[in-house]
Amino acid sequence: MIEPVALEDFFITFFSSALIILAGASYALLFAWSKVNPVISIKIAAYISYAVLILSVAELTRAAQFHGYWLIISLVMVIGYFFAPIGIWHLCVKTHTDDLTPTTEEKR
Amino acid sequence: MNTNGLNKVMENTNAFCKKLLVCRNNFKTWVQLDSSNLSDGQQLSVKYFTVAVILFFAQILFGLLAATQFIYPSFLYEILDFSVNRMIHINAMIIWMLYGFIGCVYWFLEDESGTEIVGLKLGNIAFWVLTSAVTVVVLVYLLVQIGPGKDSSLWFINEGREYIEAPRWADIGIVVVMLIFFYNVVATFSKGKWSGIAGVLTLDLVALAGLYVAGMFYMTNITHEQYWWWWVIHLWVEATWEVLVGVIMAWSLMKLLGVRRKIIQTWLYIEVALMFGSGILGLGHHYFWIGTPEYWLTIGGFFSALEPIPLVAMVVHAVYDSGAHAFKNSNHPALAWIIAQAFGNFFGAGVWGFMHTLPQINMFTHGTQWSASHGHLAFFGAYATINIAFFYLAIQHWRGDVWMGGGSQNAWRWKWALGLLNGGVLGMTIALLIAGYEQSFIERAVEGSTWGGYFTAQNHPSFQSAMNWRLFFGGITFAGFILLVWDLLTIGKGETRKAPEIIES
Repeated sequence: MIEPVALEDFFITFFSSALIILAGASYALLFAWSKVNPVISIKIAAYISYAVLILSVAELTRAAQFHGYWLIISLVMVIGYFFAPIGIWHLCVKTHTDDLTPTTEEKR
Repeated sequence: MNTNGLNKVMENTNAFCKKLLVCRNNFKTWVQLDSSNLSDGQQLSVKYFTVAVILFFAQILFGLLAATQFIYPSFLYEILDFSVNRMIHINAMIIWMLYGFIGCVYWFLEDESGTEIVGLKLGNIAFWVLTSAVTVVVLVYLLVQIGPGKDSSLWFINEGREYIEAPRWADIGIVVVMLIFFYNVVATFSKGKWSGIAGVLTLDLVALAGLYVAGMFYMTNITHEQYWWWWVIHLWVEATWEVLVGVIMAWSLMKLLGVRRKIIQTWLYIEVALMFGSGILGLGHHYFWIGTPEYWLTIGGFFSALEPIPLVAMVVHAVYDSGAHAFKNSNHPALAWIIAQAFGNFFGAGVWGFMHTLPQINMFTHGTQWSASHGHLAFFGAYATINIAFFYLAIQHWRGDVWMGGGSQNAWRWKWALGLLNGGVLGMTIALLIAGYEQSFIERAVEGSTWGGYFTAQNHPSFQSAMNWRLFFGGITFAGFILLVWDLLTIGKGETRKAPEIIES
């Protein structure tokens, strides 16, 4: 069962939802940038973005009245957005390691 | 009519045809495009691109008419009603994008397979059949705007299904044309060589043609009816079209930036897995309020929350590549439109989508101008942009692979076209967002979706003001479109410098 958003929480629901995606993307961007250019301030900025994401998820959880199994969505967002950029970064590294080794298809 | 009268008509027709021929020749001399630069498959694809641009024009024109009717409801009333303008606006959008995608595939099919297109003649026939059918369907929409809904009207006039209103004869024609397209793709790769891109494309085309069938049969229960209808609307757009764009983007990035095939294919597989993993069951967000069981609320909410993940992956990979490679390219307009695609897709589909997708808020926003706001930015950002990028790739080759990088002549045109089109669509999106917020708040939340609430919301000053701004930004978009067409016809004309060959990095 779902509880609809209350009238007074209308704006904050839209706002926090948008902020989750924006903060998630900012965290991903800054995390990747901190790997390319290992400067501590970029890494700190990445974690600040992630902190904004956590706050946004918490606010959305309250405003959208998530209860019971709906809390799993909040948990998935908090965990997923943290680990997705790390996982994707590892995939980037792995898929580019043999940049100089042409594939069988390319040899053709 | 006597013989003299008939002769006069014949003479006038002949004179008109001659005039048309002269105009056509004058136009060809003016644009100075040399078709000997194109392979047979590419000549077929530019036919698709040409019709795509004409339909893009129709989309904007009928959108502007519908936007005007929001402000002046009596404008063209009972001549060209809002329902017809809106229908053609959306249908033209779907069809021009499909034309664009088919054109893109025919463009790279020979290059990717290493052989000539197997059923080229069949492909040409299919193009003319599809184009004639689209013309007839639009004419029928315009000429038969109202009437009883009978079995015969389903077959010959209008199926009445939102977004896919084409009558059933045209539906069958579309499926046949898609099957011919599918045959051409599979047979050509089978004759030449298969690749990862070819495999993904083939499987995607099976789904593309197959899913359309889900929108071709009727059921008496409205919930069942809507259940299948969404298969076409959602799964086409958020699964098969996304993959098709991934394939087109993969090939384009190899040609434009020299990205290595192995990397691009690996990432194509990853993106397809992420898109299918989140997009297929993201279908649930359309099942919230059509009478399906309650578990769809959870499924739709959960998978909709996952849908932005491919976009996050794209951000990380873009940063990785910019750090690991120093890419160079000689087609700045195409690259600029690809960058616009990345941002448009992220904001239109990701941010605008997630803002109103969870059922707790979607019960107020579903089907309001909020959806229109999301639709405008997402469709333009994800699909129009990649088609336009490809048009620039095609025109560069058509002109003989001339330089379109820094220092090109009249570069202001493509930059202004890019700015006006993106600014126009973004302006419409913001205007519709304001209208949608007001509508969902007043009509849905405060007044409980009553007729009274509907009219209160429609007459609210903020709604009406937003609609004025939407029309204004529609005009900006139209100006951008005109500039885009002018630029596509003239870019590279008189350019003598050749584009450097892009090699894999």
